[in-house]
Amino acid sequence: MNTLTQDYPSDLFFDELIAPDNEPRAAARTLFEHLDTLDAADLDERRQAVNAAIMTMGITFTVYSEAGNIDRAWPFDIIPRVMARTEWTRIEEGLKQRLTALNLFINDLYNEQRIVKDGVFPLEVLDGSKNFRVQCQGMTPRFGVWAHVCGTDLVRDGDGTVYVLEDNLRVPSGVSYMLENRQLMKRLFPELFQASHILPVDDYPARLHDTLAALSPREGTRPVVVVLTPGIFNSAYFEHSYLAQKMGAVLVEGSDLVVQKDDCVYMKTISGLRRVDVIYRRIDDDFLDPEAFREDSTLGVPGLMRAWRAGNVGIANAPGAGVADDKVVYAFIPKVIKYYLDQDPIIPNVPSYLCMYEKEKDYVLANLDKLVVKPANESGGYGMLIGPRATQEERDQFAELIQANPRNYMAQPTLALSTAPTLIDDHLEPRHLDLRPFILQSDKLYCTTGGLTRVAMKAGSLVVNSSQGGGAKDTWIIDVD
Amino acid sequence: MLSRVAESLYWMARYLERAENTARFINSTTQVLLDLPRGASFGWDTLLKVAGLDALYNKHYVTPNEADIMRFLILDERNPGSIFASIHSARENTRTFREVLPMEIWERINGLYLYTRQYAAHATHGRIQRYEVLNNIIERRQSVIGLLVGSMSHDLAYHFLQLGRSLERADMSTRIIDVNSAVNLPIDGTSDMARERLWMSTLNALSAYQMYRQHVGVHVQGPLVAKYLLTDPHFPRTVTHCLGEIENSLSVLSDYHAPLHAARVAWRRLEAMRFDDVSPAALHEHLDQIQADLANLHDAISRKYFSLHQQVAAQEQHQSSSSTS
Repeated sequence: MNTLTQDYPSDLFFDELIAPDNEPRAAARTLFEHLDTLDAADLDERRQAVNAAIMTMGITFTVYSEAGNIDRAWPFDIIPRVMARTEWTRIEEGLKQRLTALNLFINDLYNEQRIVKDGVFPLEVLDGSKNFRVQCQGMTPRFGVWAHVCGTDLVRDGDGTVYVLEDNLRVPSGVSYMLENRQLMKRLFPELFQASHILPVDDYPARLHDTLAALSPREGTRPVVVVLTPGIFNSAYFEHSYLAQKMGAVLVEGSDLVVQKDDCVYMKTISGLRRVDVIYRRIDDDFLDPEAFREDSTLGVPGLMRAWRAGNVGIANAPGAGVADDKVVYAFIPKVIKYYLDQDPIIPNVPSYLCMYEKEKDYVLANLDKLVVKPANESGGYGMLIGPRATQEERDQFAELIQANPRNYMAQPTLALSTAPTLIDDHLEPRHLDLRPFILQSDKLYCTTGGLTRVAMKAGSLVVNSSQGGGAKDTWIIDVD
Repeated sequence: MLSRVAESLYWMARYLERAENTARFINSTTQVLLDLPRGASFGWDTLLKVAGLDALYNKHYVTPNEADIMRFLILDERNPGSIFASIHSARENTRTFREVLPMEIWERINGLYLYTRQYAAHATHGRIQRYEVLNNIIERRQSVIGLLVGSMSHDLAYHFLQLGRSLERADMSTRIIDVNSAVNLPIDGTSDMARERLWMSTLNALSAYQMYRQHVGVHVQGPLVAKYLLTDPHFPRTVTHCLGEIENSLSVLSDYHAPLHAARVAWRRLEAMRFDDVSPAALHEHLDQIQADLANLHDAISRKYFSLHQQVAAQEQHQSSSSTS
């Protein structure tokens, strides 16, 4: 038996790498055969090497603080998360299916609204959606695609089922860390990459570039693609800069761009103005164009919406694409897939109860101690109730909130999130994790091989956000012979 | 090339060059202190004037003395020209245009920053530690230059780096030459020998001693050293050489007439200078004038290439100040 895994508590949750009999799962077998040849001192040495590499490579994420120390080293666990290609292939199909349907859905919502007229998607949910932008009505961007870059969060429950937890359709981030995690692992365990068939991930920047270039309004010329960032203080600035570099695109801030009287977008260069064809924007709708959205925004570009509506510039993701990633809208996505594609969803949603429906509300109120309750329009875990961990008083409070505004709440059962072994001091302990693959769509569909695995580094914690003690692992999709 | 990015590149190069030259400036000063003859005195207040930092120093410190001035020049972030502050600014600037540089250059600059953050305080503990840490900083900075030369296309980004580096280097060379003016020598028979040793330290600070001996002569004479360090066309740290580099880079850019004119003004002044029997006071005057010419050159570059972006920045500043009032 493997020495690293023999004392590992593998029966508490579904573990991604180690089966309940404490043997590595098939896809993880080569990994553990190799790890077994290393002792605690070797592992520690590799961990220190990786931390030193993270420091000099400057792989950072930004934390808002008054001290001015704006970037922190990326927390990284050297034990990868491993998945067999056979399982992954099915997930990848499911993700492509989902994004295809989501884009048909968004385009329909801004045009004929057939899905509403056919009674599949309730008008009241659309009316309550904060991310629906009237400024986008009547638009059909190129290929009818609104969400060109989608980051979908996947989780696995105790019985091994993989669910979609949420779709991020506005400015999903994290892909640069996926790419850097792989670079770190190659530096660290080159021998493992020879011993097993780990599928590569590094074609993402080229695919992203092609996805964006396809949106150019000027055919026949090499498109000028820019990445629009809010600036160095944004938490994902590292990624904006990284992707611009890898794509050979220009990294711009709002003040670098200007819309002229011809409704075209230009950037300010040392030799005057130069036309821009495609903007990969990493700032929220609200700040994109002070003429159309928030007047007080200094991050955006006045007139950008005019230029986009006139078809003179491609914007990814399109303004308004976020309408489909609201938490109540989420509950309808299986029906959305069925409606547009006449297919059953390949990856299920986490079962959800919408308090806007009387019967479901009654169920939620009767089972508050077992459910997680989420408000529709908040993100980042704000205003949530985690039933099993809440006090009776908190649950009573939430019951009142739900009664007062049922349309604003949805509930899901608490999932027993899967774990993976993580190096803690000198041994392995299980830690909860999720997976965020990135899916691209313009003229073609593409999905990353695996994605970004985020792991809660604190024992028992379910919070995987890097700002709150979360870390990351490399994600290996492996061809098992 | 974005106007904003061009300006950041230019300043990043200036910050890095300033950090290295401040290290050289301090090493030069230390050498001078060690070589002071009996009866001579060193004017710490003059040194601060030479560095152009006297007003800022007096705002934060009471008296000019070695320990405080070293802390101020090496470590103090309230002094934007301190070594640590310069390297920090260079790194932050680099973060805003990592995408235009080869990846390894960022890693090297980040490494320089991490080293300085860890050891800068150590350098204020004494002259031995100071020399060691500052030399390491100079070496690490040199390795950044080596990578730039060896792995970066000579594209527009490269030329803006070159402009910033050359301008800062020319300015700092004039200041390092001027360190000698802080020394008050006793008027007796030993002063010529002492003066010669001081000029030797200046040559050493600019890594120029050996080249001077090969190309000028074995005897270190003040006027010849000043002439060599200001006007030699071949030694890479002289003002004349730096102006040549600036002209080369300008010729690649569009619409370079105004900056080129400013560079020529400085160049002609150097040409017209006579160094025979130049008194220390007159030399100090000359150096001041060259510094003013270089400042004008900076203004011309800035107006020509950075103004599209600066107009916006000024407008925004105006907006935010009017909205707060």
